[in-house]
Amino acid sequence: MNDGDVEVFLSLVERHRRYLYNLALRLTGNEQDAKDVVQDSLLNAYLGLEQFEGRADLRTWLNRILVNSALNHLRSLRRRPDVNAPQPIADVVDTVASSYPDPERLVASADWRRHVSAAMNTMSPLEQVTFALRHFDGCSINEIAQTVGISNTAAKQHIFRAVRKMRVALEPHWSGR
Amino acid sequence: MTHLSDDELVLHYYGEDGPEIVTAERHLKACTQCARAYEALARTLNAVIPPEFVEAFDDLPALRQLLREHSRDGSSSLPVGKSLIRAKAGVTVLVWLAPLLYPVSLKALFSSAQWAQSQVVGVPFVALALMWACVGPLLAICALNHLSFDRGAQASTRVLVVGAVMAAISPSLFLFVSRANDGLSVNLGMTLWYGVITLAALLSLFRRPGVSESTASTRAERFLYVHRLSALVLAVFVLAHVINQALAFISVSSYTAMRNVMRMASEQPASYLLLVGAVAIQIATGAGMGMKHVRAGAVARNVQAVAGWCLAAFMLAHVLTPLLYSQTSGTAGSIDQFDLLASPRSTEQLPFLLLGVASFLFHVGVYARLAALAYLAEASVRRLSYAGMVVGTTVVVTIGLSLCGIHLVR
Repeated sequence: MNDGDVEVFLSLVERHRRYLYNLALRLTGNEQDAKDVVQDSLLNAYLGLEQFEGRADLRTWLNRILVNSALNHLRSLRRRPDVNAPQPIADVVDTVASSYPDPERLVASADWRRHVSAAMNTMSPLEQVTFALRHFDGCSINEIAQTVGISNTAAKQHIFRAVRKMRVALEPHWSGR
Repeated sequence: MTHLSDDELVLHYYGEDGPEIVTAERHLKACTQCARAYEALARTLNAVIPPEFVEAFDDLPALRQLLREHSRDGSSSLPVGKSLIRAKAGVTVLVWLAPLLYPVSLKALFSSAQWAQSQVVGVPFVALALMWACVGPLLAICALNHLSFDRGAQASTRVLVVGAVMAAISPSLFLFVSRANDGLSVNLGMTLWYGVITLAALLSLFRRPGVSESTASTRAERFLYVHRLSALVLAVFVLAHVINQALAFISVSSYTAMRNVMRMASEQPASYLLLVGAVAIQIATGAGMGMKHVRAGAVARNVQAVAGWCLAAFMLAHVLTPLLYSQTSGTAGSIDQFDLLASPRSTEQLPFLLLGVASFLFHVGVYARLAALAYLAEASVRRLSYAGMVVGTTVVVTIGLSLCGIHLVR
């Protein structure tokens, strides 16, 4: 490949970039991580373009690379506990401060997003990715198992554990409301 | 009345409960307790909303720069496409060199062992020569990491895969060819070995009839069950041998006594038939599952596949070699000696046995790791894997020492 091929590659992936970035954001829950994951996965896709021979849909292929990049990224973050803490989300009006908010207001609040983010951080990388693919992206368990490269039973168990952790972290906030 | 478990409620929430969906819904209508539990679950999960869909930031200039830098990485005149092709060609050459040079590695192993007996400085060379003799499976794993998605449509991919198989099974195949050569009226020497390699290279040029993805998948699922069942039978025999071989490091007499008991048991017609049947089923079903999970980047699956190839060749050679022996020299099995480095002929068995044990441990270990992910948290599985690797390495090293004639009690 030469510089011209870089342009061809970029134009190929351009129409999928928005989707990829949003998928990365849902998998990692953090803008900076999502940016890193997209860049990593596009670089891997470019380097491994020879292995893509049109048997699968380009988006499916990129999707698989991105999910695996996200998994690796989350694993490297878990090995560095100092960056494992939930990141504050900027520029969001904190509406939870008002007394006794209704559930809709609570869900829309910055505090609630922090709680969700903290709950996601208690999950293992595989739990986080399988949960995000199922819950946010609507992928079936079979699709998740194939994308991540684990069995259907394993995918299910990771989702069950993720949901349990999510409930343990979030349900106390519902009480009394 | 059987209530729905938390996991069943989660499956129902996501509509993943398959044919049970109607039963679950009916139960939720009838059972207040489950309905309340489901409501609590749904309330929490409904509140976990995804981050809003946003526009991707404009990082094209940075990405373009990054890709261009990688295009020119290393050599300014070597573009990425060519470097990938070159890497694939390089690894193809390496996997074919492994079987071609395998007989030389055995000579190096024997010579360094002789040297080590007179001078201690020769010991590291024994270890190096042993690593050289056992490098085939490692090269095969690297080769699978360069596998294209074409599944053998291109001749280059077929040459790579067949080369990887040959590299992985070299120790077992060489032992078998060597013993088969003994049975021939004319001693062909190394000609027979290089003839087998040439035949494999020629076979790789022919394309196998293609099987559709869905057929391959259905076939693999069906074979998997039979494969696991026969593996259980075989694992009992193999584990007993592995443990006993490791015990040989401590006491030769205990090993001999135990081996005689196991040999007597396995030579009974019923158990021999069971053993050979299990080996045949393992190989047939393993070949049937083919390379479904093998792909570039799937390291665990690739390790399992290569370990499977080694194990199949090891078991075949183990079952068939005694038959060749009884036809030719009339002597019993192939593992009678306690120092395999004593002669060039017995040296052939050292990489064969060590890789047999290692491939068994890897094949079962990777399976256990992937299966454990269904029941345990990822971090626990990782810790267990590390512990398993330590135990496995200790077992292989202990067996290696005992096969090299190092025993605590003679």
